[in-house]
Amino acid sequence: MNQFLQLFVDRWSEIMARTGEHFVLTGLSTLIATLVGIPVGIIAQRIKRLRHWLVAFVNLFQTIPSLAMLAILLVVMGKIGVAPALLALVLYALLPIVRNTITGLNQVSPDINEAGRGIGMTAGQLLWRVQFPLAFPVIMAGVRTATVVGVGIATLSAFIGAGGLGQFINRGLATYNTNLILLGAIPAAILALAADGCLSLAEHSLRPTPFNERHKLRYRLKPIFVTLPVILFASGMLLVVVPRVIDDDPAANSEAVIKIGTKNFTEQLILGELMAQLIEDHTDLRVERRFNLGGTMICHNSLIRGEIDLYAEYTGTALTAILNKSATNDPDVAYDRVTDAYHNQYDLIWLKPFGFDNTYTITVRQAAANEYNWNTIDDLVPDAPQLHAGFTSEFMEREDGYPGLKEVYRIDFGKVSDLEPSLMYDALAKGQVDVICGFATDGRIVRYDLKPLEDNMEFFPPYEAAPVIRRELLNAYPELRSILERLDGRLDNATMQQLNSRVDQGQMDIQTVVRDFLIEMSMVSEDQNEEYR
Amino acid sequence: MIKLENVSKSFDGGKSFAVKDLSLEVHDGETLVLLGTSGSGKTTTLRMINRLIDPTEGLISVDGRNVMDQNPVMLRRSMGYVFQGIGLFPHLTAERNIRTVLSLLGWPKRKQKERVRELLELVDLDPLAYGKRLPCELSGGQQQRVGVARALAGSPKYLLMDEPFGALDAITRDVLQQQLLEIQEKTEVTVVFVTHDILEALTVACRIAVLNEGHLEQIETAERIVSNPQTAFVQEMFAKPTAQLKHFERLL
Repeated sequence: MNQFLQLFVDRWSEIMARTGEHFVLTGLSTLIATLVGIPVGIIAQRIKRLRHWLVAFVNLFQTIPSLAMLAILLVVMGKIGVAPALLALVLYALLPIVRNTITGLNQVSPDINEAGRGIGMTAGQLLWRVQFPLAFPVIMAGVRTATVVGVGIATLSAFIGAGGLGQFINRGLATYNTNLILLGAIPAAILALAADGCLSLAEHSLRPTPFNERHKLRYRLKPIFVTLPVILFASGMLLVVVPRVIDDDPAANSEAVIKIGTKNFTEQLILGELMAQLIEDHTDLRVERRFNLGGTMICHNSLIRGEIDLYAEYTGTALTAILNKSATNDPDVAYDRVTDAYHNQYDLIWLKPFGFDNTYTITVRQAAANEYNWNTIDDLVPDAPQLHAGFTSEFMEREDGYPGLKEVYRIDFGKVSDLEPSLMYDALAKGQVDVICGFATDGRIVRYDLKPLEDNMEFFPPYEAAPVIRRELLNAYPELRSILERLDGRLDNATMQQLNSRVDQGQMDIQTVVRDFLIEMSMVSEDQNEEYR
Repeated sequence: MIKLENVSKSFDGGKSFAVKDLSLEVHDGETLVLLGTSGSGKTTTLRMINRLIDPTEGLISVDGRNVMDQNPVMLRRSMGYVFQGIGLFPHLTAERNIRTVLSLLGWPKRKQKERVRELLELVDLDPLAYGKRLPCELSGGQQQRVGVARALAGSPKYLLMDEPFGALDAITRDVLQQQLLEIQEKTEVTVVFVTHDILEALTVACRIAVLNEGHLEQIETAERIVSNPQTAFVQEMFAKPTAQLKHFERLL
C-alpha cells in the first residue's frame, strides 16, 4: 500500500497528463458519436425500412473485439496514435446512442404526436419541439452508457500509441506490476464515475422543473449543472492541448525527433529504452518514446509508414510472421535473409544484433522434468496427450509455433489454452498448466525453477534481436549506426534474463535498470550520467 | 361554413366503412354536436375536417374551399383542436403549451405573452398561479381549460372538440360546459363537438347530428330532435335518458 502511495506521488504529474489524454479521447469520441448517432437514430426511427440495416450496422462494430478493431483501423488508416483510437471509440459509442434515440422517440405517446399534428406542426416541428425533448432523458442515458464504456475501451488505445491511462495499465501488465496497473485503473474508474455523474446531473437539470420545486437550491444551480460537462470537457482539452502547443514552438520542431517503438512486453520495453538512452547520450537528437504498441504487426506497419523510426525486432519473427518465409535454424542465414528482404521490400535496415537469442522454449516445471525424466521435447511426446499446455495466442497461430511444432515432433497436447504472455509463467509454476511456450530470456525461468526442454530436432528458428531502422533516417543520421551497434553483441541471454528479471520481479523502473546496465557496461561516462539524472 | 358532401372513409381499402355517404353542414357561429356511440364514425368525421385523416370519397369544404386543395399543416393551424384525453405537451408549462400555437402562427414574442394572459383569464385560470405549471401539476379540469385556451389561441374561426370533457368528473364537466357556452358567446367561434353523452350534447348544442355506424340518422336542433325523432334509432337513443330523468324526478 505504501509502495503504491509512493508511486502515486512520484508519478503525479504523469497521472494528470494521462488522465487529461484519457479525458479528451473519451470526451471527444463521445461528442462525435453523439453528433452522428442522434441523427442516425432519428433517421432510423422515421424510415422503418432503414432501421433494421442501420441498427445491424452499428451492432456490427460492437461485435468486433476492441484490440482487433484498433488493429484493423491501424491498417485502414495507415497510422498509429490518436486518430485511429478516436475512430474506434466513436464506432463503439454509436450503438447505445443510436439505439436509445430510437427507443426514446418510439416511446413518445401517440396521443402527444397526434396533438402536435392536430395543432398544425410540421414533421420537423413535431420532432424538435415535442418528440426530441420527450425522448431526451432516454437519449442521454445512451450517451452516458457510451461515455462509461468509452472510458473503459480508451484504456486499450495505449496499444496504438494514443496515450491515456491505458499506458499505465499496459506497462503494468507487460512488466507484471500490479501497482502500475492500479495507477491506470483507479483514475479510469474515477473518471468513468465522474463523467457519468456529471452527465446525469446535466440531464436532470435539463428536465422541466415542477413549479413547486423552483425555489430550491437545485433549481438555482441548474445553469451550472447544465454547463458542467461542457466546462469539464473544455478544461480537459486545455489540460492536454495547451502544454502541446507550448511544446510545439518552432525551435523544438526544427530539432530532429527519433520515434522509437516497442511491442508490449518487458524485454521490448527494455530494448526500446536502451536504444533511446544510447541516442540521447551520444547525440543531440530528441527521442520520442512510442512504447507498448500492441504487437508485431502494429510495430511493423508503424515503421513502414514512418509513425515510428526504429524498434527492436527478432530475426525469427521477421522471417515467419512478416516475410512469410520458412524459418531456418542457422542464425547467420536467418539474419542475412531478413537483412536482404527488409532492404529490398521495405527500405528498412537491420543493424547488428544485440547478442541474445530469445527463441521459444518448450518449458516445464523442473520438478516434473525430474520426475518424468524430460530433457528434450521428444521426451515429452508420449506424455503429451495427458498434458495441459498454455500457449500465447501468437504461438498458437504462427508457423514456427504450435502448428509447426505439432508437425515436426508429432506432438499433440491433451488440452491447450490461450494465455497472456505475462501470466503464462505463473500458471505453469502454480501447476495450472504443465507446459508453456516460454521465451529463452525471460527472468522467470530461473526464478520459478522452470526447465526449458532442449529443442533436439532444432525446430525453433533463432530469434536474435536487432534494431530495425528506416533507411531514410539512417542516411540522414549515419552516426546512429555506430551508436546503436556499440553493445556489439555483449547483451547475451544471461544478461537479458537478468535485466528482464530486475523489471518483472524486482519491480524496478525500466529507465533505472537500463541506466545501471549502461554504467555497468561502461558505455556512459559519469558526467553524462549526472546530466541524465 | 363547413360542408361535407357524400363523404366516406374506409380504413381497409373499401371492405368496410367508418363513415359512409355523410352529408352535413356546420353553420357559422353555431355549435354542432356529432353524437353517437363508439364506432359510429363521429371522431373520424371530425378528424377529416382538418385532414388528420383524408376522406376516401366525397368533398369537404371550409368556407367554400375544398380541404384537399389546402396544405394540411396550414389548414390545421387555422382551426382550434381540443383533444380527447388531454393532449397537452407534458414537458411544457401551461403558458408554453399555449404559446406553441402562437409561435407556429408566427406571433412576435411580446404579443404572445399578452395573449396567453388573456386566454388563461378567458378559461378562468389565474395566469400568475397556473401559467408556469407543468401539466402534471394541474388537475384534470385545469388541464382541459388549458387545452381549450390553446385551441383558441390564434382566434380561429372554427373549433374542433373531440370528447374534450370525457375524462372529467360530472361537476367539473358541467362547469366547463357552461364556460364553453360563455366563451362561444364572447368569441362567436363555430364549434364542432364530438360526444357520446346525450346530456352533454343537449347542454352545449345548437344542433345535433346523430351518427350510427358511419351514417347520419338525423340532424336537427336540440329541442326538435328530442320532440321529433325521425328514426327508431334516434327515438331509442333519447328514450333512455328521458326514462332515467323520470326515475330521478320520482326520487326527488
